[in-house]
Amino acid sequence: MELTRELYWNVGHSVLIPMYLLVAAAFGVLIWGLRKRLAAYRLGQPLDRTDQRGERISGVLRDIFLQARVLRVKGAGSAHGIFFFGFVLLTIGTTLVFLQADLLDPLFGVRFLTGNFYLFFSIVLDLAGLAAIVMLLGLAVRRYLLRPKDLPNVGDNALMLGLLLAILLTGFLLEGARMAATELGTDLSWWSPIGLLFAQPFAGMGETAQRSVHTGLWWFHFALVLGFFCAIPFTRLRHLLLTPTNIFFRNLGPTGKLRSLDLEDEEAESFGAAKVADLTWKDIFDGDACTYCKRCQDRCPAWNTDKPLSPMKVVNQIQEVSFDNPEANLIETVTTDVLWSCTTCRACEEICPAAIEHVSKIIDMRRNLVLMEGEFPGEEVTKAMESAEVNGNPLGMAPAARADWAEGLEVADLAAGETAEVLYFVGCYAAFDKRNQKIARAFVQLCSAAGVKVGILGKEEKCCGEPMRKLGNEYLYQMLAAENIELIQSTGVQKIVSACPHCFNTLAKDYVDLGLELPVEHANSFLAELLQSGKLKLKSENLDCTYHDSCYLGRHNELYSAPRQLLAAAGASIREMEKSRSESFCCSAGGGRILAEENLGERMNQTRAKMAAETGAATLVSSCPFCMSMFEDGIKGADLDEQLKPLDLLEILAERIEA
Amino acid sequence: MNILVCIKQVPDMESRFKVDAAGTWFEESDLAWRINEYDEFAIEQAVQLKEQLGDADLTVLSIGPARLKEALKKALAMGCDRAVHVVDAAAHEKDPFQIASSIAAFAKDKSFDVIFTGMQSQDRGSGQVAVLVGELLSIPSLTTAVEFALEGDTISVRRELEGGLKAVVKAKVPALVSCQLGLNTPRYPTLPNIMKAKRKELLEVPVADLLTEEARLETVSLAYPEKKGSALVLEGEVGDLVEKVIGILKEKTAVL
Repeated sequence: MELTRELYWNVGHSVLIPMYLLVAAAFGVLIWGLRKRLAAYRLGQPLDRTDQRGERISGVLRDIFLQARVLRVKGAGSAHGIFFFGFVLLTIGTTLVFLQADLLDPLFGVRFLTGNFYLFFSIVLDLAGLAAIVMLLGLAVRRYLLRPKDLPNVGDNALMLGLLLAILLTGFLLEGARMAATELGTDLSWWSPIGLLFAQPFAGMGETAQRSVHTGLWWFHFALVLGFFCAIPFTRLRHLLLTPTNIFFRNLGPTGKLRSLDLEDEEAESFGAAKVADLTWKDIFDGDACTYCKRCQDRCPAWNTDKPLSPMKVVNQIQEVSFDNPEANLIETVTTDVLWSCTTCRACEEICPAAIEHVSKIIDMRRNLVLMEGEFPGEEVTKAMESAEVNGNPLGMAPAARADWAEGLEVADLAAGETAEVLYFVGCYAAFDKRNQKIARAFVQLCSAAGVKVGILGKEEKCCGEPMRKLGNEYLYQMLAAENIELIQSTGVQKIVSACPHCFNTLAKDYVDLGLELPVEHANSFLAELLQSGKLKLKSENLDCTYHDSCYLGRHNELYSAPRQLLAAAGASIREMEKSRSESFCCSAGGGRILAEENLGERMNQTRAKMAAETGAATLVSSCPFCMSMFEDGIKGADLDEQLKPLDLLEILAERIEA
Repeated sequence: MNILVCIKQVPDMESRFKVDAAGTWFEESDLAWRINEYDEFAIEQAVQLKEQLGDADLTVLSIGPARLKEALKKALAMGCDRAVHVVDAAAHEKDPFQIASSIAAFAKDKSFDVIFTGMQSQDRGSGQVAVLVGELLSIPSLTTAVEFALEGDTISVRRELEGGLKAVVKAKVPALVSCQLGLNTPRYPTLPNIMKAKRKELLEVPVADLLTEEARLETVSLAYPEKKGSALVLEGEVGDLVEKVIGILKEKTAVL
């Protein structure tokens, strides 16, 4: 017996013409539905996302065909991934049938679905279908019985699960009916084990009955498939097409870098985003690509400390407004409490399987609030802004005292004409805050020990402008940045290091737009290099600690290993928190929140301090002056000061300098 | 309606002050400058009044060296229509009467209906300029305003008195109002207003054109207060601290 099956068995080739006409019509509906959505995307401002096409395409292949981002989350992510692979195999199977039955066989008499390849084809498709059904059932159990907290559930979800399940089940029933009439009792049937199972109910029927049931099922299955195509643009099934497209158009970095506004633009009547038309087309498209998986919300430190911000909801609101009411005031829809709650920690963007950019939308709306309305989250923030304008630091300290921390240390004042190998950009918190001055001193001591001559800008250094920028005050940021850049360039220094992740990220990425193009490094990677080259020698002394990945070192700059190498070299053993590295939980100071009171929900710094305490480690090591300020308060606030002590990585290293 | 608001640029109070060589004022190096806090309330109230009236003309005036352009620009960005810079590199050497005379000389033929000033300056703190201007122009002065209202041609001001008392006083325009903390929350200038401010009129008037008066007060010397003892910081358990404080109060004061 030949190892194959008759394609279009029972229904016959006469179905081809009506079948293809209906398929064409379904595709027509699909394209028409998608085209209608274009109008909403076109509301947005232009943005070029078509550069580096190789990188863009390989990202799509990696994240869609390998499900790389989806599979990062176990459980629902794994189920989606396995379902997807099953679905792809079934699509390939259908395509092979089409190739042979409708093209190669009638035109050239070529048949490849025979012999061992047919057996392989048959069993693979059966197992793929089974896997897909099991995963769908699993996902349905999760959604409707286990009901994960805060998972948004709408009719679309039931429709998607139901439709896909119906297509798969009717596919197997169809196979069962055919096998009952043609394959039962043959060895061939073992190569379609699931089909064989589905053939049992049809086994007792006569062939006529089997044939008429089969015809009915064939058309029903076909109608469901047509329905599936038609439903794509009108339901969340659209993610099948829009999520891969969004991944193609994703932001290729630098990670977390914000768009610079042209503040001198005489034509501009408005700054920041108050309406969807002020956002880019990509911001609107993002909402359409969202799959409502809530991974962002699950990780959002604001959401997890009972603040009103859900990154997913913000993205969805922008989408809803774009399609339903494009003239509406976006800020009123999203609300200011939501906008001010963001710490720009990027936990949302880092995990998003659809490559959605949440943070820049929030900043764009903050920009509107600040630049057009003069509005801040609180009076304390307005005061800090004014202090930064007047004193060059948001703490309101005397600029003349900016370099007091360096007294007695070997540092050159570059602003006063002295020279050095590297410029240490200190930042306001390390310069003025008593606790954080120890970090600045530790860094200089480490550099001196490694024979590196460090220079600073002394009392001429200004705030880098990061908190202001993240709070939407682009004007003040650009003013401060321009002064710093002019000064840095006048010193002729060729390399900049900062021990503050916020300064580092800003100087390295954001200052480029304003003309600074020097290499900028964070103290961690800088010192790790000195350690590796043997210039920096450390004693190894035991330390039982846990390490907090600061958002602007970790997720923004992927500096996960340098601090751990340094800690290891210092003899520290790290008990990792459950939320570490890319899953790290913000200390609450990012996004300019360091300048604002935290009046909503629980205290984020206490929540994080508790996570650190849960490891049982006695020391909470961080590598950021902002984090240090937050943990000093958070540990006391959570009554953990007996068991947990916050230390900066640089302080630990400085204590272990080999004499 | 014609409104004038008089402002002063002062050093930020967190600055590191050094007494100058003459020993009569502080050195200007290393200082950060800002608008006198009370004067910001005055600007805000003037701008609110302008917004209330719709058609009003708001002039901001300040006396001092070139650096105070920044202060005037901020006042313009907050909503003043034009700025007058009375250029005087040695304004800090003028006594309150000379400053008030210069302002009055500028204002006398401009028929201002309301003049806003701060209650006092944060650096010299004489608290005289506002009332002297009122007297020199022969208009009523309503001082230390914590609430302000204008109805028809009558100004109503709630004043802060000693011991938590408040008084409401009224006067017909023209009048001068000096502003106290609590009157309002000064606005943060919006970007379009900062841009517009760059194109607003900024008039320069040499102080010699306005000032004909001699000084009536002389600053003899300026010095840091003598250091007497030092603060005592107590640390430890709350219970022990209470004991210690009671001990100190018994020993060193007559409170207990």
